[in-house]
Amino acid sequence: EGAEAEKPTEAVMDKISFLFNNLSHTNMIAKKEELIGMINDLGDPFIRWLSQYIVMKRASIEQNYQPLYNQFVQAIANPQLDEYIRRETFRNIKILLRTDKRQNAGANYSDRQLLKNLGMWLGAITIARSRPILLKELDLKSLLLEAYYKGQSELLFVVPFISKILLSCSKTPIFSASCAWIRSILKILAELHNEPDLKINLKFEIEVLCKELNVDLNSLPIEGILKDTDKLLRVPQQLSDLKIL
Amino acid sequence: ELALLGVTQYYAFVQEKQKVHCLNTLFRKLQINQSIIFCNSTQRVELLAKKITEIGYSCYYIHSKMAQNHRNRVFHDFRQGNCRNLVCSDLLTRGIDIQAVNVVINFDFPRNAETYLHRIGRSGRFGHLGIAINLITYDDRHTLRRIEQELRTHIEPIPKAVDPKLYVADHQLVDD
Repeated sequence: EGAEAEKPTEAVMDKISFLFNNLSHTNMIAKKEELIGMINDLGDPFIRWLSQYIVMKRASIEQNYQPLYNQFVQAIANPQLDEYIRRETFRNIKILLRTDKRQNAGANYSDRQLLKNLGMWLGAITIARSRPILLKELDLKSLLLEAYYKGQSELLFVVPFISKILLSCSKTPIFSASCAWIRSILKILAELHNEPDLKINLKFEIEVLCKELNVDLNSLPIEGILKDTDKLLRVPQQLSDLKIL
Repeated sequence: ELALLGVTQYYAFVQEKQKVHCLNTLFRKLQINQSIIFCNSTQRVELLAKKITEIGYSCYYIHSKMAQNHRNRVFHDFRQGNCRNLVCSDLLTRGIDIQAVNVVINFDFPRNAETYLHRIGRSGRFGHLGIAINLITYDDRHTLRRIEQELRTHIEPIPKAVDPKLYVADHQLVDD
């Protein structure tokens, strides 16, 4: 899993930057042709760099234009580009999950926002397109349990992130709230919501999600999963290690 | 109450005939979410908007000679993000408060400090970042210094590379 993709020439980067600065629904067809032309000319290394650019410079920061970029990528319909974008999205998410959650309030804050944006983007390119998120890519349920076990700072990162991913469930019949995978995650969120000392903004986050998915929060059974300490200890670790004082 | 807090201001020294070329360079080097480009007259707004649309920009325009309901419509669509850039004359009297606008360009430099403040200033909202870029011709050089003094602010020459932290962090600082 390499980090930085090899950069194309400055002229190419300028062209891409101009293209994305001016992309809109009305000119999408023309811009699409232009980009497909560049992909054909420049080949695989360019596609690799482009997917990194789309994820890191555009989707993760310009949350307001995620639907536009998503539509654009789908219009280009290049399986290689899709695959690289998917990988790049997971790679960035994993980096953010592994950062230390208890340091530096400022960076912490923007990391949380980036993670939320990436969650929304991930939902859009997987769930909303009726494609699953595989356990080996990202284990959402375990992530929640791990965050609960590790504490409040971790929950502040993870709960909004998971909620943003699951918002996409309203866009597909396959992964609706009644599908077993999604329901098992919602049940844990409901149990978290039931915890008296959960931060109010996280409770709100969960309520908003349920409302969006037309799920009655009170109808979700509380099965005491969070009380199963043995299980919590055995969960695969996706966040940074806790520093023991 | 308008303030220049959070706005990093730059100028680029250009000749009138180089302005469009300079604009193109900015659009190739900056990361723009949405931008507003100001001109000093309604004719120049229309001319510029037409010209840059032809060369592949996504842009709308509004100016003071358009009917109010038409203006509202365009501004509303721009706010919705239907288009990335807005070319306009001086009619936004209360400062821009569109979160997604992270770049404001004075294609024509205004003649007085009040207009400058109305174009560049942000209404409240602590931590909302952006950059403002002024295209300055030889004739504008004294106005630039005067406005800088009147507003007690600094307008620096634009560096080769603008630090993205100064203007692409918007969404990381608002809400929550």
